[in-house]
Amino acid sequence: MTKPASRFFIAPSLLWGLVGLAAIALSLWQAGLFRQAVFNLNGFPLLWRFVVASVHPDVSRNLLDITLRASLVTLAYAVCGTFFSVVIGAVAGVFCSEVWWLEVLQANHFRYAGFQIIRALLAFPRAIHELIWGLFFLNIWGLDPLVAVVAIAIPFGAITAKVFSEILDETPRQPLLALINSGVAPLAAFLYTLLPQAFLNLLSYSFYRFECSIRAAAVLGIIGAGGLGYEILLSLQSLRYEQLWTFFYALFFLNGCVDFASAALRTQLGCASRIDLNAHHPPSRNRQNSHRIFGLFPIAIAGVALSFWYIQPDFSKVWSPRSQQLFNQIVQASLPLDFSALPHLMPLSLETVAMSVLAIAIAAIGGLLLAFPATQNFFLLSRVLNRYRGDRLLPHVMLATARIVLLLCRAIPAPIWALVALYVLFPGILPGAVGLGLHNLGILGRLFAEVIENLEQPPLEALKAGGAPDSLVFLYGVLPLTMPRFLAYTLYRWEVCMRETVIVGLVGAGGLGRALTEQLSSFDYPSLGVTLSAFLVLTFLVDWISATVRRSLRASS
Amino acid sequence: MKKLLVSGFLLLSLLPLAACSNHSSPSSSANSAAQAKTFVTGAIPDQDPEKLQRLYGKLSSYLEQELGVAVSYQPVTDYTAAVTAFKVGDLDMVWFGGLTGVQARLQVPGAEALSQRDIDARFHSVLIANKNSALKPMRDAQELTNLKGRTFTFGSESSTSGRLMPQYFLQQAGVTLTDFKGQAGFSKNHDATIELVTAGTYDAGALNEQVWQKRLMEGKIDQSRVEVIWRSPEYYDYHWVINPSVKQRFGEDFPQKVQAALMKLDPTVPEQKEILELFGAEKFIATKNENYAQIEQVGREIGKIK
Repeated sequence: MTKPASRFFIAPSLLWGLVGLAAIALSLWQAGLFRQAVFNLNGFPLLWRFVVASVHPDVSRNLLDITLRASLVTLAYAVCGTFFSVVIGAVAGVFCSEVWWLEVLQANHFRYAGFQIIRALLAFPRAIHELIWGLFFLNIWGLDPLVAVVAIAIPFGAITAKVFSEILDETPRQPLLALINSGVAPLAAFLYTLLPQAFLNLLSYSFYRFECSIRAAAVLGIIGAGGLGYEILLSLQSLRYEQLWTFFYALFFLNGCVDFASAALRTQLGCASRIDLNAHHPPSRNRQNSHRIFGLFPIAIAGVALSFWYIQPDFSKVWSPRSQQLFNQIVQASLPLDFSALPHLMPLSLETVAMSVLAIAIAAIGGLLLAFPATQNFFLLSRVLNRYRGDRLLPHVMLATARIVLLLCRAIPAPIWALVALYVLFPGILPGAVGLGLHNLGILGRLFAEVIENLEQPPLEALKAGGAPDSLVFLYGVLPLTMPRFLAYTLYRWEVCMRETVIVGLVGAGGLGRALTEQLSSFDYPSLGVTLSAFLVLTFLVDWISATVRRSLRASS
Repeated sequence: MKKLLVSGFLLLSLLPLAACSNHSSPSSSANSAAQAKTFVTGAIPDQDPEKLQRLYGKLSSYLEQELGVAVSYQPVTDYTAAVTAFKVGDLDMVWFGGLTGVQARLQVPGAEALSQRDIDARFHSVLIANKNSALKPMRDAQELTNLKGRTFTFGSESSTSGRLMPQYFLQQAGVTLTDFKGQAGFSKNHDATIELVTAGTYDAGALNEQVWQKRLMEGKIDQSRVEVIWRSPEYYDYHWVINPSVKQRFGEDFPQKVQAALMKLDPTVPEQKEILELFGAEKFIATKNENYAQIEQVGREIGKIK
């Protein structure tokens, strides 16, 4: 089957669907299914102990104190990390937006090249997972809260910059051009038109970043940054499941509160969804109320100040001679890079890609199954389907259950899920894929649910008015409207999964992450550099494939 | 008017934020000044982290009395982190395993192996097996080949008694990591290895003999389900390594003082007896860097030292 031919005979969505299925099948083979032992049935007693402990968590006074303190640390890391990433994102975002260079600076070709270089450079900090940044800074600054804050700020700052620049570029330019053409200085015109216009979208995205930061702060506990992730890892290592669940519930609660607050604010702002991938930003319904949001600014400022005070990062370390000396040491120790392990890295790279494919398959299927019951409008208010017949209790129970499962899945960091999966699966890429899959299932399911809740009603109304039964409304109305967005989100999450394979590798799941763990514990910096480069290449490759598929799907829809 | 308000808010919101990021630096530098006067100890997290917390809490207060300086214990999440924190200078003295101690000294010129327990000069690993696995106690190293095709777990990646030496002895007997069923696991610490093998998650596992003996004495081991199948030859293991930077902060003879304080721990004094018991030692003895030449060589052979 050649590609040009297929373009004529198969729709791109079908083609990519087949490619996806083939990739999943190959990944399963790579994971060793049907070839070798993957299930360790003897581990079920421990898994059962873990599950049973969920109904009687440790609620002793002492542990609750620890839990409270750890939760505050995690929250404070997230606040400080978000603060810096938004600052970085705001500055860098303006500088890598097309509109800034073309309209405000009125750049010539030469300058325009500069813009593209900045944009390309931002891809590097973004491609490296926050845990790797954390490990790097740990080697320079030691066990300081600064490590966690900066480890979140750098990759998240780069992502925020990318999204901010996209938002700025997608904002209508007519008012800006009108002002510039009437003789207003470009900078002033930018400040008075584009920025205020885009402001609410920028703010909405910042809240989403905060949700992500909470999860990142928990993951960073695993390298010793403290907080809930740290406590969870310690109690998991000493197999104290009752304590473990107390920390789980704390993380669950923290994530729940942040998600809820963030969603409420977003409704206030009139930005219906968390991240609007490939969607235009439509004028919202109730933006008249949005100035109320400014009342929250003093609270936000106080929150940031309190968080910095609580964790006390030692900023003097950034430029201290000691840090520079340690930095030089690492650079010297890593050079020249040791490429001797490169042939060994090829199969590991394949494993890593396979792990990310399996993870996203688990996440997408699970997310899809849970997303429909988790929406308010699908079964519950019968706005999507015809009037719901039967009692009203069942849909409410389904809604609550689905939402709790989704929240629990995304609240627990992927490496912790992977460690749990390691009870019943042999070390290898499968436990890693399960861990990543479960965590991302929680995130994807929620994103899917949002898509369903924001469904356009008129096409469905038309179907229902025509007398179509529920099944047909679903098949011909709901699915065609939601599927393209679902696929776009899935592909986007696949990119994230690829980056996250490294963190489950650190707890013993397979692939490059596993090699990285051995190299880290052997202080083999020259090989470490090569493994990280391999990671970068894979990340860019997956990003490129994902972008290509998304573009092809968008063109066909 | 409204647009002006919005941009005004943007500017206003940034100013106090910039101010508050400066606000925390004076207090944190005061913090680090206090830290300079504290002697920070650490340990590789080789056992149940809660047990370590209790043990090192007691040791810290003993050292505080003996040395006349503030002593604290800083826990870390894994073996590598202990080495890194020692290298960066966050930890002044660490209870390392054989391998991690060598790794740490190679990265910190002038670091010294100070002291160890009486048992550490003749340390052993044990292999344990779940009784349902039908693995039988072995008479000599040749029988280690019985482990081929079984599931197996080590402790931490950087553990001397839970990984390095067992892997070395297995390799000598012709058993490599690919000979196990599935992939070999890394439980992260010795207590976790006991739990996993007792529960049957793995047929067999390798761990530190002292931890095994201690848990046996405490009655924590279900002997109907797990037993020792092999005891390794002896080698040098755990030891205290001290950072040369303490000499500038606490005086040239500080390492000797610490060494003396450790060796003075007396089993006839009840509180000190408790510390020694928690360490599983009769007493502490002096050690030196040269004792770890064999560990370094094996470390290079297995690839854990470059």
